[in-house]
Amino acid sequence: MLSNKGKVIERLLQGAFICRTSDEEGWRFLKNPANREQVDDYLATLNRSVATVGAGSEAEVFYCAYRQLGEAERRVVAQQFRDVCNALTPLVEWLLLVQQAGAQDAPLTEGSPIRLNELQSIVEDTPAFREQLARISHYRLFGSTSASVDAQIKQVFKRLCELGYLLRPNPEKQIYLGTGKLDYLYEVIRFIDEAEGLSLEERAELASQGSLL
Amino acid sequence: MSGNLHQAGVRFLRQLGRHAETIMDAYLAGAVGDDALEPGVQERLVKDGVLYRPEPGADLHLRRVVRALLEEALRDDRNRQIDANTGTTLATFKTLAAHYKEARHQGDFAAADAYLADLREHVYSFCEGLGHSVRVLWGRINNEFGYVGSLGAKIRENELAQAQVSELLAGLELIDFSELAETAGELRELRRLLVTRLQRQVSGCCQELGVVQGRLLELLGRFRKIQGRTRLLRGWLLHAEQQPDYRPGSHTARPEMPQLLNLAEALIAPAAANLHDSGQEAELLALAAQIRAQREERPATAPAEAGELTLGAVESFEVQPSPIQLAVQEYLCAVIESGRPVSALTWWRERELPWDPETWLYQVIGGYEALPDEQRACFQLDPDGEPHPVFSGNFIVQDLSLWLA
Repeated sequence: MLSNKGKVIERLLQGAFICRTSDEEGWRFLKNPANREQVDDYLATLNRSVATVGAGSEAEVFYCAYRQLGEAERRVVAQQFRDVCNALTPLVEWLLLVQQAGAQDAPLTEGSPIRLNELQSIVEDTPAFREQLARISHYRLFGSTSASVDAQIKQVFKRLCELGYLLRPNPEKQIYLGTGKLDYLYEVIRFIDEAEGLSLEERAELASQGSLL
Repeated sequence: MSGNLHQAGVRFLRQLGRHAETIMDAYLAGAVGDDALEPGVQERLVKDGVLYRPEPGADLHLRRVVRALLEEALRDDRNRQIDANTGTTLATFKTLAAHYKEARHQGDFAAADAYLADLREHVYSFCEGLGHSVRVLWGRINNEFGYVGSLGAKIRENELAQAQVSELLAGLELIDFSELAETAGELRELRRLLVTRLQRQVSGCCQELGVVQGRLLELLGRFRKIQGRTRLLRGWLLHAEQQPDYRPGSHTARPEMPQLLNLAEALIAPAAANLHDSGQEAELLALAAQIRAQREERPATAPAEAGELTLGAVESFEVQPSPIQLAVQEYLCAVIESGRPVSALTWWRERELPWDPETWLYQVIGGYEALPDEQRACFQLDPDGEPHPVFSGNFIVQDLSLWLA
């Protein structure tokens, strides 16, 4: 059987995001700086290193990054960045839909649960949410062609599980958990916001004040 | 005097007990209506200072002290009152200490004892108040301001709590122990109360408040982070609506690419079981067993679906014409070539065909009818014969004559 270290390395090389929700053992292992260094040393042979979302002791999500960027690596990274960017708008819309439907203050993050049945009944009862869901599910990222709420929402959740943003701990229950990849997503948005000077937060603030007036 | 006070106190508490329902109603609802109470009861409760009317015409409210008592006893989260008024308390301490010293100086030990007891009570209640304030703050931190719903309210509550902590700390700074020590002078009892006990409590409290402040800031940071994320999402959506074809620049091409975007490609593919490793025998056997099970199951599973039906060109094949058909064709060709009418039976006789004349005639008719329309139009086929002698309407064909039309 594989040791904890072996499992963590395997998961990292599979391109997984290791967080408390998706793999608590591995997460604990990597939280220890000495262990992380070991894994890092191992990955160095493959020109890879352990990267984290957030810095220092606040690092809660681990993934695999390139150690040195050559031409080929840059191409891969650029492709992945494009993929993430293309997925951003559908994912953001979906996150806001879940947040609004649940009447929550906080958007979905790692470890927050969603009950599909509850969400579905709320969406079904609210025409605005139904429209939103239809639009979201027809994005290429989710690729639903169905007209029924049931099929749309199931397809969206299925795709999100495939993409690693959600986790279904018990296949017999319709309860999903957000994973650390969501936190990564927020960081990417924040990065784009800062790098491109979009001042998204101010814009949202202004818009909400405008709607209050 | 004290006997009277004791009795009065017991009577008051009994009163509270008797009207417990009313008081709890007032506590939970905030006020109690006039018609909910009998006039006598109402009057008594108002006189005892349990209920009061904040303004004419308003409902009866519970007095602050009774409410505080209940909040304390029930550990109610809604109790957010923190008394940070250290200045007055300190002044009281000093006044009472001065009374005590004067009474001792004058030799009035009974009065001195009373003052000391009073002072002790004040110091104790001050210490208790401090402990209570810290406890309240911890309670709020521990349930993350769960008593208010929205994130904005939580942030406001957090800011309130922080203001209270700073106020408490500022209040505690007012306590000047050298001054208190001077006030206490050489008197052992006073020193114990004002210096030792107070100092221990205050320093403990200060430490704890420091931790509380840290935790409050941490919580505030988390709340703000969550709020920031929501704003970020909304902002992104607004941005996407305003500029639908917006694409972020190629940040990955920059020399100092941010670590965040550095995502390595997935590298590992699942490995297979090792056939030559005896340690994996069990797994391999299990895998093999699965294969057999699948083979057995196969017929039981749904029958194979019918192959797709395709309509294609039929393979061409040649029909071998029979000799009689060939003979008819020959006959027709002969008619064309000669251009003269030739009777079928004449031809039959000339060629000495082997078939029965009647069969021959039928075959000629059939051959003629089977011709394509445009070819048939070139020929004319006339039957030669006579009507039946007995049965009218019947025509007996004896020969056929065929010529070009």
